[in-house]
Amino acid sequence: MTIDQLQAAAANNLWAAITPEITLGVLALLLLVLEMLLPKARHVVIPTCAIAGQLGILAALAFNFTATPYLDRDTFNGLLHHSRDGQYLRAFFLVSSILVSILGVVALAKQKMPRVEFFHIVLVVTAAMMLLAQSANFVLLFVALETITVGFYILVSYTRSNPLSLEAGLKYLVLGALSSAILLFGIVLLYGVAGNPNSLGSTASPMSYAGVRQFLEANPGNFLASVGIVFVLAGIAFKIGAVPFQIWIPDVYQGAPTPVTAFLAVASKAAGFAVLISLLPVFHSYAGLVTVVLSIMAGATILFGNLAALTQHNVKRLLGLSGISHAGYLLMGVVAAQTVPQAVGAIYFYLFAYLLASFAVFAVMTHVAGENDAEQDLDHYTDFAKKHPYLAGVLAVGLGSLAGIPPLAGFMGKLMVFIAAFKAGLYPLLAIAIVGVVLSIYYYFGWIKAAFFSTWRPPLASGETEPAEIAATPIGFSAGLALGVLAAGSVVFGFFQGPIAAWLLAR
Amino acid sequence: MSPLPLAALSGPFAVTLNAYLYLAAVLFAIGFFGVLLRKNTLVIYMCLELMLVASTVALVAFSRYNGVLDGDVFVFFILTVAAAEVAVGLAIIVALFRRRQTVQVEELNALKN
Repeated sequence: MTIDQLQAAAANNLWAAITPEITLGVLALLLLVLEMLLPKARHVVIPTCAIAGQLGILAALAFNFTATPYLDRDTFNGLLHHSRDGQYLRAFFLVSSILVSILGVVALAKQKMPRVEFFHIVLVVTAAMMLLAQSANFVLLFVALETITVGFYILVSYTRSNPLSLEAGLKYLVLGALSSAILLFGIVLLYGVAGNPNSLGSTASPMSYAGVRQFLEANPGNFLASVGIVFVLAGIAFKIGAVPFQIWIPDVYQGAPTPVTAFLAVASKAAGFAVLISLLPVFHSYAGLVTVVLSIMAGATILFGNLAALTQHNVKRLLGLSGISHAGYLLMGVVAAQTVPQAVGAIYFYLFAYLLASFAVFAVMTHVAGENDAEQDLDHYTDFAKKHPYLAGVLAVGLGSLAGIPPLAGFMGKLMVFIAAFKAGLYPLLAIAIVGVVLSIYYYFGWIKAAFFSTWRPPLASGETEPAEIAATPIGFSAGLALGVLAAGSVVFGFFQGPIAAWLLAR
Repeated sequence: MSPLPLAALSGPFAVTLNAYLYLAAVLFAIGFFGVLLRKNTLVIYMCLELMLVASTVALVAFSRYNGVLDGDVFVFFILTVAAAEVAVGLAIIVALFRRRQTVQVEELNALKN
């Protein structure tokens, strides 16, 4: 390598392009410093600092949203590619981490647990997600994905006094590491075949998306490359919880602290879809293989998620399994995105509606949860509407949006994805998806019914005591505001998708 | 950069790229089925590491035979990530053992509907 090449490489490291991620990392470190400097009585301000800092970063990002000079450019020698979608996903992950922080304040108040590390890890994981969404290189993809996964191992087992949380952490650890290893092996195979100097279309940079894409276009039907693609898709399917890699979801969702469950359900899933969408153009010359694999996964995922959720009584497991079915609808959108470009916008809008609705439901659950976070049954919601009308209203809006009841935002998200699938001609998948939606109404409304209508219960046998009443935590200012904004957002974006949908669908 | 001529890459007793790939595939399969079939969490953990090592072997072999250095650099990233994973993973296993006095997977079934 000559000195000129080194200079060109160094000039390409535009650190200003990743200012939001760097600021998040600095903020995360700042929280740890504050913990050392402040007296113990003042530690309550640290979560406030975390939330305020993230709001500041979000504001700066929104201000620079289209004005950033790095749009449609590669930086760091092709490690990162900055695009509109990347900007959108940055904002998406920031919003979800702000909401997780707010929920974290509510949930951690019930536990005798160190507070600061939780926010620290949430911020680091968010920064890694933002980098992952803009990655254009398999090395960065793997490192960012592992940063997220290792962070989640800690977050899932965060309440370490609770054996259920630890068990969930262990299950996530084993299956997460397994999926990472599968993904890594797929990357290695792609790297190996693409870099072979004796084959047609070999590339000098076999770790970059562009290099692999160039090789795959020159060699359709290469066996090792096909195996590599299937392994990479399987590794990602694990992260989004698609069948047959969904096995960890109910247990981990149940055992994890509720804010972490929300983070897993929304941000981690969105990160998986971001990777999948950014890899679609790379694999487009193997579209036949990708379509077969993803279509089978999507159909099985929709059916499994909805059927398994029908019999659930634990609300965290119920949301986990219904989340699997949402991943199925989104996977259908990904299949459609190979031929219909608007499907990508539809997926992003769906994820946005899913964020609003899921966080509304999880925020209510965080308030209802007792000290043992893992035991949250439908029975706890008896007479909920009478005792806590505000929380019950938000819950109803959130669940209705998840079920896809018009005129809520969840309905519009589903409609856009279904229209994209229709345009792509995926009729069998569409039929399965519509059956799935009908099934899902049953369990979502079972929950709403438990919260709003009193049900007959058998009289207590002698010696049996009334099940312990669970009192919801009083709603604080920021949590109350967040609940209101989420519910209002679900309603408003149902009636009026406005510039967001237009901007997302224009491509 | 072109592949370096080396005695090991040519000659009657040359070790071919395929030999390394078969080794990597076998190691990967042992690790994968170990994770699925073994009952002790620590053994499962070793199998997970074995899968990462399998990828590393394939990576180094590809790198050597293709004459591209990206793979060798990637190995350091993989080692670092694996170390971080082990640090967190063993901490979780130890904390769980303190609460439950077992690391056998069939006894860790408290999470259910």
